[in-house]
Parts: sequence; C-alpha cells; structure tokens
Amino acid sequence: MKAVGSEGDRGPARGPDGDPPAVELDGVTKRYGETAAVDSVSLRIREGEFFTLVGPSGCGKTTTLRLIAGFETPTAGAVRFVGEDVSGVPPERRDVGVVFQNYALFPHMTVGENIGYGLKFADSPDRQSRDERVAELLELVDLPDAADRDPESLSGGQQQRVAMARALAPSPDLLLLDEPMSALDAQLRERLRVQVRAIQSELGITTVYITHDQEEALAISDRMAVMRAGAPEQTAAPRDVYRRPASQFVAKFIGDNNVFVGRVTKVTEVSADAADDTSVAAVDVGSETLRVALGGAGDALDVAVGDRLTFCVRPEYLRIDGGESRIRATVANAEFLGETTRVTLDWDGRDLVVRTRDPLSGGVVAGFDPEDAHVVRVDTS
Amino acid sequence: MTSALLVVAFYYPIGTVLVEAVIVVDGGVTLGVFAEILRDPFYFGELARLFAKESPFAVAPDIVSSDRRLGIIGFTAYQAVLSTIASVALGLPAAYLLARFEFRGRQALRSLTIVPFVLPSIMVAVGFVATFGRNGTLNAVLGAVGLPPVELMFTLEAIVIAHVFYNAPLVARVTTAAWESVDASAVETARSLGAGPIRAFYDVVAPQVYPAVLTGAALTFVFTFGTFPIVLALGGFQLATVEVFIYRFVRDLSYAEAAALAIIELVISLGVLLAYLRYEARNTVRSRGARPLPRRSLFPSAPTARELLPRLGLAGYVVVAGLVFVAPIASMVLASVTGGDGGLTLDHYRFLVDRQRTGTAFQVRPWPAIRNSLTFAGAATLLALPMGVVVAVLTTRRYRGRKLVDAAAMAPLAVSGIIVGLGLLRGLVFGFEVWGWRITVAGSVAIVVAHAVAGYPFVVRTVAPGLAGLDRSLIESARALGASRVRVIRDIELPLVWPGVVAGAAFAFAISIGEFTATVVLATGVDAYTMPVAIERFIGRRLGPATAMGVILLIVTGLSFVVVERLGGESRGL
Repeated sequence: MKAVGSEGDRGPARGPDGDPPAVELDGVTKRYGETAAVDSVSLRIREGEFFTLVGPSGCGKTTTLRLIAGFETPTAGAVRFVGEDVSGVPPERRDVGVVFQNYALFPHMTVGENIGYGLKFADSPDRQSRDERVAELLELVDLPDAADRDPESLSGGQQQRVAMARALAPSPDLLLLDEPMSALDAQLRERLRVQVRAIQSELGITTVYITHDQEEALAISDRMAVMRAGAPEQTAAPRDVYRRPASQFVAKFIGDNNVFVGRVTKVTEVSADAADDTSVAAVDVGSETLRVALGGAGDALDVAVGDRLTFCVRPEYLRIDGGESRIRATVANAEFLGETTRVTLDWDGRDLVVRTRDPLSGGVVAGFDPEDAHVVRVDTS
Repeated sequence: MTSALLVVAFYYPIGTVLVEAVIVVDGGVTLGVFAEILRDPFYFGELARLFAKESPFAVAPDIVSSDRRLGIIGFTAYQAVLSTIASVALGLPAAYLLARFEFRGRQALRSLTIVPFVLPSIMVAVGFVATFGRNGTLNAVLGAVGLPPVELMFTLEAIVIAHVFYNAPLVARVTTAAWESVDASAVETARSLGAGPIRAFYDVVAPQVYPAVLTGAALTFVFTFGTFPIVLALGGFQLATVEVFIYRFVRDLSYAEAAALAIIELVISLGVLLAYLRYEARNTVRSRGARPLPRRSLFPSAPTARELLPRLGLAGYVVVAGLVFVAPIASMVLASVTGGDGGLTLDHYRFLVDRQRTGTAFQVRPWPAIRNSLTFAGAATLLALPMGVVVAVLTTRRYRGRKLVDAAAMAPLAVSGIIVGLGLLRGLVFGFEVWGWRITVAGSVAIVVAHAVAGYPFVVRTVAPGLAGLDRSLIESARALGASRVRVIRDIELPLVWPGVVAGAAFAFAISIGEFTATVVLATGVDAYTMPVAIERFIGRRLGPATAMGVILLIVTGLSFVVVERLGGESRGL
C-alpha cells in the first residue's frame, strides 16, 4: 500500500529562521496499563501558530494536551518547548495557560482574584501591578466591570472569557484550550470562536486548541492535526485537510464525503507539454466506470491497471445532471438545512450524499468531474 | 510524617500485641497460647472440640442441641448477630420514614441520626441503667400502672437494646442516603413498562437500597463484636464478651492471654470487614440520583386504607423508637436531678462539687476528669486533624497501591480500642529500647495518641468525599498558573473542603471526649482519668453522681455535635 499524503503532512522541522518549533512532540507515547492513549505522536507546532487537535472522543487529543501541559508524563518520547526537553518539568514551571471545558474557575474567589491568582507566582507580585494587569485582562475579554463578581453569577460565555483571562494573565508562552466552548450553545460558540481567534492574533501567542467539532477546527486553525486512535492521521492547514484528506478516516471525519473504492481499468497519461492537464484513471465502481484525476505531469500518482483505488468526492462537487462521470441513483432521504438540502441517494445499495437547492425525488443522475475526485489510497495489485 | 505517626501510634502497638501473643517467657516463639484458646470450650464452646481434633460427627449433635455451650467468642458473635438483626429491624423503618415522607422536623430528625456517633458509650450505658435498672424509669412507669417490675439489667436483652440505640441510627442513616439517591425516573420507567408500585420497589428501589443496608449491618456487626463499655456496664462479667475478658486479663497482668485473645478478635472482625469490602467493591453502583423520589406528606389529606396503613405502622414504630432512643437520655437527665425519695434535687451535682473539694487523691474527682477530657480532646484533635487531612489527600489521589494505603489508613476504625490501648501500654508506656536507650511515653501522651488514632478516620471520612468531589481541573488550572502541589492544597483544596475539615475536627473532638476503651486501659495513674472513666468508676457504687457526670458529658459532646451538624456532617459518608 502507498499512503497518499499532502504536502502539509510533513511540517518543516524548523521555522523559517531555523528556530526550533515552539512545541515539539517527539515520538510521545502515553500508556495506561495495556492501552496506549497516545501512540508515538510526533508534532511540531510553530511559534505564534493556532494549532488544533481534532478527532472523535477517545482519540487521545485531550491526553496529548495534558502531556503538553505537564499534567501527564509520557511513557516514551519527549516533549520539547523551543528545543528544550520539558518532560520532567512540572506544570507550574512550564509557563503555559490552560482553559478547561468547564472553565474550572475557583468558586471561593472573585473574578478578579481568579485572574490575579497566577500573578502571585510571577517575579514581582506587588499588589498594584497585579490589579492593573487584572483590569487590563478584563478589558481584553470585554468584561471590564466583573472583577468583584462571583464566578458563579456569570453566564457560561462570560465564565469562559474569565477563564481565558486567567490563563493569559501571567503572559504564558503557550495557551492550551481543552474544548473551551463545547458547553455553550451553537450561536454563542460561533461568536466566541471569532473572539478567541482575535485575542490570539492580537497577542501572537502560540495556541493549542482541542475540539471534537471539525467545523470549529476548520474555522479557527492555522494548522490542524486530525487524530484517531492515539495518533494524528493528517497534519495540515484546514484547506488542505478538507481538499486533500490523507486517509479515508479524515475524508469522512472532516465534512461530508462520498468515498468510492474500485479497480483501475485504464490509465490515460497526460503528455509532458500539457501543463494544465492531468492524468486520469478509469475506475470500475459497481456498475459504473468513473474517471478520476491523478494529478498533472510530474506529480501524478503512480497508478497501474488492476490497482485498487480509494477516492472521495465532496457532496458539493457531486452535481445533479452534471459532471463527466455519471451515476444513476434514487433519492432515499432529504434533509432540509436552510440554505441547502442534504439529499442521500441510493446507488445499488451504496449511499451517496449531494447538496442541492432544488427539491429532488425519484430517479436522478449525479455526476462529477475527474479533478473533483481526490484519491486517498492506492493498493497495488 | 503521618505514616510515621500511624506506625508509631497504631501499627507498632498492634505489632507489639501480636508479638506478645507468640512469645513465651524465655523468648521462644510459640503458638501455644492460641492453641490453648482455640481448644478451650470456655472461649469457643463446642467448636473448641473441633479445634481439639474431635470428630466433627461427635461435635455436630452438641452444636445443634439446645443446651450447647457457646463459649466467650461464640457468645460475642451471638450477641453481635442479635444486635445486628435488631439494629436493621429498627433502622429500616426510620429510613423509610426519612426517605419517603415529608413532615416538619424531617431534616432535624435526619440530622439527629448522627448523634450516637458522638455520644460516649459509657454515657449511653448510664442512660440504660437509669431506664432499665431495678429503680429505673421503666419500672417506675410499670409500677405506677400496677404491673410487676422487670429485671433487664445484666441480661442479653439490655445489651442488645443498647447496641440498637447505637447502631440502628447508623443503619437508618446509610439506608436513607441510598434511598434518596434512587432516581425517580428509574422508578417511573419501571412503572411505564408495566410494573406495579410494589413490583417497581422490588425491581428498582430495593436493589439500590440493599447494599446500603448491608453496609449498615456489616458495620454494626463489627462494632458490636468489639463492644466493650456497654457490656462492661450492662452485662458485667456474667455476660462478658471477648473485649471484657481482654480487659480482665490486662487488669490481671496476663498480657500474653490478653494479646492472643485480642488477635483472635481482630482476625474475626477484620475478616467480616474485608468480606464486606470485597462485596462492596463488586456491587458499587454509583447512581447519582438526578431527581430523587418525591416525598409524601406524613399526614394525608384523604385517609384511605392504603394511605393509612404504612402510617399506622410508622406510628407504632415511633413508640418503640421513643423507648429505645429517647428514654435512656431522658432518664439519665431525670435521674441526675432525682433524689432517693423521688423528689427533685441537685444533690448529685452537689456531691460532685463536694467530692472535688474534699476528695482524697485516690478518689475520682470531677474537675480533673473534665479537665483531662478537654485537654486530651484538644490535643487529640490537633493530632488527628493533620493526620486525617493527609490521609484524605492520599486516598483521593490515583496511584499504584492506593487501595492498600486506603485499607491501612482506615484500619483503626475496625480495631477495637482495647487492642490499641493494650498495644500502646505494652509498646510505649512500658517503654521500648532504641540503640540501648529505653524510651517510655507518659500515660497521658499515650491516651492522646490513642484518641487521635480513634478519631482521625472520622476526619478522613468527612474530608475525603469533599476532596474526591473536587473538580480535578481546578487543581490543574492552579498548577498551570504556577502554584506548586503544596500551594494548591493550601489555596484551593482546603478552602473548598473547609466545612468538612471543621466537621472532622468536631468529630475527632467528640470521639476523644467519649472514648472509654483505650483510656481505661491506659489510665493506670490516678491523674489520667477522663469523664467516661470517672463515670465508669462511679456507676457501680453511686448511680446519681454517675448520671450527673453523664449530663455534663452530654452537654460537652452535644456542643461538638452542633458544630458537626452546622458544618455539614449531613452529607458525609457516616
């Protein structure tokens, strides 16, 4: 088997200036008894980057964050901050700010005392500069008058912002956010997402963000790692992860997708001079022969007749009565989502998903162009 | 630190007892003392003949025959089983009343179920003498209505009733807690699936309440198996349990026999406790009741047969409960102000004052007793508090071998005071040698240590649930913000569980005030006696002053009870 990766998969070992990455996980494994929650993970997070770990529950993303924070020690491998091994450094000496899903505000302290708590351990913890810093942060998170309030009297969104302010108060080198919005309702979540990203950009702080919500990950990140079973399957910019998923799992987990598996019956090589054209494979899937682009001259995938090809086509590229490869199917189910309708088609027992504006029913023909298909896996015969 | 203290104050003394039991005078190691006890029908009754290698077939008919000999250990187990059954029988209706009905004072009544834990057992004994004694309240009432007097003192019944006084509230308390945590929607689901009310109770409620009943029963058995002050006061040596005999051996300076008997007792009660813990580990279903079952009003608006029947039953129960739980305390207070002629008098208190003024050095005087009690309790609390908090912190962390630490740290709860007292006496008070130096510890210090050992599990019990319930992310947030592990305990954990800490302190104080068993073993000197010991010395000769002293003890423990309750002993494990 040949894995089909995208260029983002192998992030540069060093930043543009040759500096070591802000955070580096080098073959990090965390075992609980027999099971490995995190299985030899290697990641490099650049200075100032907003980096997201996304995956289904139990994929090891939270454990990864806890390893970075120092709440867990790796069973094997090393965690490095700017090139320095911090594996044995306790959390209080790592200069990290952490925001938890439930915010974990200290209930016996006021909002101001919460935010000021981390400043007590700074080098010059005099009272006045502490109060100034607290006011500054309350301003930053847009809660200027909340200092004397009781955390429990705040709404969920306000608590989340206080937790942000508390984590940022000691000016940490690294901000770690563990599903900080999953307890909020959808609209508030979208608003806060913008705010969190704006604060991060303003401060330029390296940030690791955990979420199980792929849409959130796509929206907020500079780069993201899609995790599964304790290891990242793909690490890349959101656009690359969406356009060129590295595996069937990523293809299905990030956004809607139609996955096809079939045997190659013919490969049409493109001539070297046709720069904007692409090699195309004809693939037998069920009763149909579908045409799939393999890439332009020079970087085309190495595919031979008889190989088994796994490829995917996003619902938005699967067009009714359009495209080059046509599939005859019947409407099985339609969900009205507002701006579009998500229609599930039945194609000889396979499910296909398309998005349309117009209502559909009965038998339809859906098609796609070769360039809109993305190969995730090639199994040589 | 704490573990060192535990070793010195608990495990070393226990170890001393163990060693004592197997070493004979010339220094050789032997199990002879054990073998003798095992084979002696005096201890094991007919069972002893089995240990003496008689054929089981020869022994069996005698065991089932009606005039079998139980032996001391057999009798101890027998009265513990009876007490357990009676405690469950009187505890369950109370749990039913508290968990299922709404009425004025329900909260207060629920809180009162904690009282026995802080009531000194010797005081309860005094109360029982005042109630059921030849001249007690019960016979006075019976006489007034023309019935013949009953002789309950020095009978098995008296002991069992006293044990019920102590343990039925415990059964009620743990059962009520379990009953209240049954989720109403579970019952409603069962009903919607076609189960009638009784069937739903049987299928949904009972399985969730049953483990709690078993908890209560197991603890009751262990407590009553190791009972001492109550039997000493109410049973005397005619109806002696193992503890009483250990005490007698200690008094007669037969330490090897005392130690061997103590070990046998320890093995039996730890065995029961371990068996129970194994059961509990397998059957713990933590259903945090999202929505408790709704309570019915105790006084229904429409009196139908179905509504009235359970309430009539409860009314009958209240009469019995009044006799068992209220009468002893009331009688004690009454007896303390009743003169020989039946009229009201303050003579008994005056006696205490006079004794204080004129008593000779070898007589029991009240003020030293009160002063000793308060001093010991204060010191024991100061010792028990940090120990308990540290153990609580240790038992709520996750690491390898935590279960072992758990068990080792909580063991003092299951080991009777007499063994601790005996161990401390032999191990510390009589001294031990370290590199040629002979170190001895004063009796009063040993008493404080014994009280701290008896009290700190209660600190653990009140503090640990709060710590365990703390959100881990609070602690981790503080650490990420730069606080060290110790700093987090100080800034975050302790402030958040503070009510539990104070309640634990009050518990430890009250336990120390009421502790009798270890104290009586250790209070060899004339100066080290406490209020409970003073009561015991009074009780045989002068009931009046004993009751007066009991009232003083009641007031002191009552005050610490108020502290416990005010600061949330309610929601705690015990």
